[in-house]
Amino acid sequence: MTPREFHLNPADYGLPTRDELVDLRIWDSHFHGFYGAASDPVAQYRANNFYVERMGIERSISLEIGGTLANPLTPAPHDDAVRAILETDQDRLSGITPIDPGFPDESCAKMEKWIRNGPCIGIKYVGGNKTGVACSHPNNDPIIRLAAELDATIYIHTWLKVGGTPRLPGRDNLPGESTPMDVVALARRFPHVRFICGHSGGDWELGIRAVRAQKNVLLEFAGSDPHSGSVDYAVKELGTDRIVWGGHGPSRSYATELGKVLDADLSRADRMKVFGGNFRQLAAPIFKRKGLKLER
Amino acid sequence: MPDLNRRQFLNRTALASAALALSRSSPAAVAAAARPASPGIIDTNVNLFRWPFRKLKYSDTAALVAKLGKHRVIEAWAGSYEALLDKDINGVNERLAAACRAHGRGLLRPIGSVNLAWPDWEEDVRRCHEVFKMPGLRIFPGYQPFDLGHPDLPRLLALTRERGLLLQIAFSMEDSRVHHPAISPGTVVAAPLIAAMKSVPAAKVQVLHFSGNAQGSDLGQLMRETSAAIDISRWESNGMVGRMIGARPETKSPRVPVERALFGSHAPYFPLETAILKLIESPLDTAQLHAIMQGNARKLLAAA
Repeated sequence: MTPREFHLNPADYGLPTRDELVDLRIWDSHFHGFYGAASDPVAQYRANNFYVERMGIERSISLEIGGTLANPLTPAPHDDAVRAILETDQDRLSGITPIDPGFPDESCAKMEKWIRNGPCIGIKYVGGNKTGVACSHPNNDPIIRLAAELDATIYIHTWLKVGGTPRLPGRDNLPGESTPMDVVALARRFPHVRFICGHSGGDWELGIRAVRAQKNVLLEFAGSDPHSGSVDYAVKELGTDRIVWGGHGPSRSYATELGKVLDADLSRADRMKVFGGNFRQLAAPIFKRKGLKLER
Repeated sequence: MPDLNRRQFLNRTALASAALALSRSSPAAVAAAARPASPGIIDTNVNLFRWPFRKLKYSDTAALVAKLGKHRVIEAWAGSYEALLDKDINGVNERLAAACRAHGRGLLRPIGSVNLAWPDWEEDVRRCHEVFKMPGLRIFPGYQPFDLGHPDLPRLLALTRERGLLLQIAFSMEDSRVHHPAISPGTVVAAPLIAAMKSVPAAKVQVLHFSGNAQGSDLGQLMRETSAAIDISRWESNGMVGRMIGARPETKSPRVPVERALFGSHAPYFPLETAILKLIESPLDTAQLHAIMQGNARKLLAAA
């Protein structure tokens, strides 16, 4: 079966057809095509393209370019192959590179290599690190200053895992795994820089509360279970302009992540903002700087 | 205009809507228009009323029924969120039966509950069957304070078999990382269920929202050693429905025989859209789709 061959017509089920998804111009700001248990990250990327094509995703932003999420500052064997794919697939694939705030100098050096002198458009804070340094730590200031200078997008993994004694949200986070409150603390120091608070804080009801007053923080919903009403709530509290979409494939289903937004009561214009317009607006300066196409 | 029953009406409106939708679609999609009307969906995993920790968007039953209809769900097996924590299980079941009668117009089929930790749960089985005319029961181990190692589980299986009832077992309800700090339901493991089902092999069982362990060994054992059916609501990652049933060429062997996979949305906690999109995301053929969307459910639970 080809990616565009369907035995169900989505319109019969109150859902957009593939053509209608394409028209929404969906940009996946949270793509894990090269990450996971796969022994061959490039093969995994190519296999997942079946679903990218099938679900009408226009552009994917890979979060693991250069090194791995587990060891962001250590070059990975597949780095060269991925760099080549970023070149050949630049019409539908972009990359951001993971950094480690435990090592700010090395992180900045990596940004010089992969962003200023390389193909990447931004940085990612991964979900924890060996030194236990979250994104609110002063170590992050030189990283953010450089990101701002490069017009790089900034994605920060956040969670609020319930646990500990007394049992509370965030107390089961990994060492160095940021919370939405960490993002806010960082964003206050850089009011002219915009940040993406990833995974909606893990617990969106609390994550949205945490970031709502900090206007330079955007929210991204991927990588957590789909909860009906969550995007409606985010729009109510943050406004449509502060939400970006992530697919988190292949470990999450595009179905899961698309469903979160299709569940929400949004106008077509607002749905387009969430699905891609807001991220394109965020990334426009670095796309322009690198001569990349924002429009189809 | 002749009178149409519900199914005829849905089939006709589906054909009309398909024609409209496909007028701007790709050649492959247009080719699909030549096929018969798309099957309606039997959603085997829906719950009514208020989720204990949040007002859900579709917690109002009338709104949920409208939502189900919008997405071409022709039958929904409805449990009650009240069964998770309430002690008055009979009251829970009574309200569920009344809501299904009042709102569903045949769309909602009430699936009552019993709580093995509460005294005299057998009487709730009897009332669900004889008084409320329910076709099945749904239990929520973890939220209801027992696990599947409870000594009464074989007795519950035997009672449901004797009465011809379906037993649905919800293995989880939400990601443990976002549980309200006041609760800690724990992980429900399948091994005791597998053992109990061997003693009552004719029991009709469906597991809901089941992900199993990371290695997949408990799912494999459940499929090999029991006749349990499973819903798709917990199947996660791109193309997972297809991979689970072996629809993709690269899949070595199905982890779940297609005839035991049933549509379940976990709505209204999950968006209904999510489960339907999973069917579209996976490259499934017409026979596989029909089986998951309604055929397997109809075999498990005959039409009312």
